[in-house]
Amino acid sequence: MPAAIEMQYRDYYQMLGVERSATAEDIKKAYRRLARKYHPDVSKEANAEERFKEVQEAYEVLKDPEKRAAYDQLGANWKSGEQFRPPPDWASGFEFRGRGAPGGAHAQQQFDEADFSEFFSSLFGGGTPFGEAGAARGGVRTARDHHARIEIDLEEAFRGGTRMLELKRPELRPDGHVELKAHTIRVAIPAGVTDGQQVRLAGQGEPSPRGGSPGDLYLEVKIRPHRLYQLDGRDVTVTLPVTPWEAALGATVSVPTLGGAVEMRIPAGAQSGRKLRLRGRGLPGAAAGDQYVLLRVALPPADTPQARALYEQMQRELPFDPRAGLGG
Amino acid sequence: MADVFDLLEAELLDERHWIAIQELCELVQLDLATIVELAEQGVVAPRGVRPAEWFLPAAAMPRLRLASRLMHDLGVNVSGAVLAVELLESRRALEQQLRLLEDLLGERRD
Repeated sequence: MPAAIEMQYRDYYQMLGVERSATAEDIKKAYRRLARKYHPDVSKEANAEERFKEVQEAYEVLKDPEKRAAYDQLGANWKSGEQFRPPPDWASGFEFRGRGAPGGAHAQQQFDEADFSEFFSSLFGGGTPFGEAGAARGGVRTARDHHARIEIDLEEAFRGGTRMLELKRPELRPDGHVELKAHTIRVAIPAGVTDGQQVRLAGQGEPSPRGGSPGDLYLEVKIRPHRLYQLDGRDVTVTLPVTPWEAALGATVSVPTLGGAVEMRIPAGAQSGRKLRLRGRGLPGAAAGDQYVLLRVALPPADTPQARALYEQMQRELPFDPRAGLGG
Repeated sequence: MADVFDLLEAELLDERHWIAIQELCELVQLDLATIVELAEQGVVAPRGVRPAEWFLPAAAMPRLRLASRLMHDLGVNVSGAVLAVELLESRRALEQQLRLLEDLLGERRD
């Protein structure tokens, strides 16, 4: 490990909210509680993803007796955020059990080291005696696929687009250590991708450790909420305000769609909440989605003498009782 | 001079793509027995007779990866993950309906 690398110390006990004397059971309970609270798939907390990664990183170290013992050796007087440099004799004196399959069926490392801090990578990542790459050096291992998530706008999903992506990727240095290197790629996102869907970038995963084919990069696409449209699979819904006379008499009105405005016929007698369909105007794909138009009748304000007079005329001349069915 | 990056084409894994079970196990980090159990509980609908020869739709990957994350990160079992996946999907659908109703009432705040 190069002596020049400096980074910020991370207090893993503080991150899990436990004492340094906590038992393995205390640590597991604290992790489970915080993981439930901050899991990005479940949590509504604003900084859930960031907090969850911290909790996962802390647990990755503290759940493992060897890593925990090595971490404890750094001493108790460090504070989170302090400048830190790994000791030159880091991890010497520890005997490492095989990095086989402690989890049985789920033997593969479940976390993505690229999500963890530089502090973790330097002490416990690939190339250290604790890391997977260091342990796997003697054996044959195929290149792994990588997974990441990207957020795009609905317009990009409709038309397709290009994105620059910066990925942190573990790379093997000539001295056998692994470091995380930022790597930028330019990706063409295909038109018609929907929320939660996967796209694959062949050969952009982990480079092969033995000169074979590299792994693939899978991107899970998340589509950002849109100001106008609600997305459901490939279908989109837009709420369209209409005037009372357009709803009552019928009208042809302009409706925004992802491909540009189109004219749509509103049938006479339409009410608020009526849903109309524009076939094939949703996201493109093997079966293109539809656009649904939800009508919202907007009332003009009675804020001028003329408007008031028109309402009063309706009051006198229209036999209309919206509460007739209530039996009052 | 600005860096020049080659444009990489991303392949969309939509409903036309079916993935062999062995490859899928690796992609979603679940073993065969767990995917069989998830299929039995209706989370995914595979094609094929014997599980070792199954093909699953690429569209099932988000659900399987979600179930996998919940099992690995939170320590829930298969039934717990299935319940959570269904409840999360149901929550999402209700949130969408709520936003539509807020739009309809002209009350949306976000």
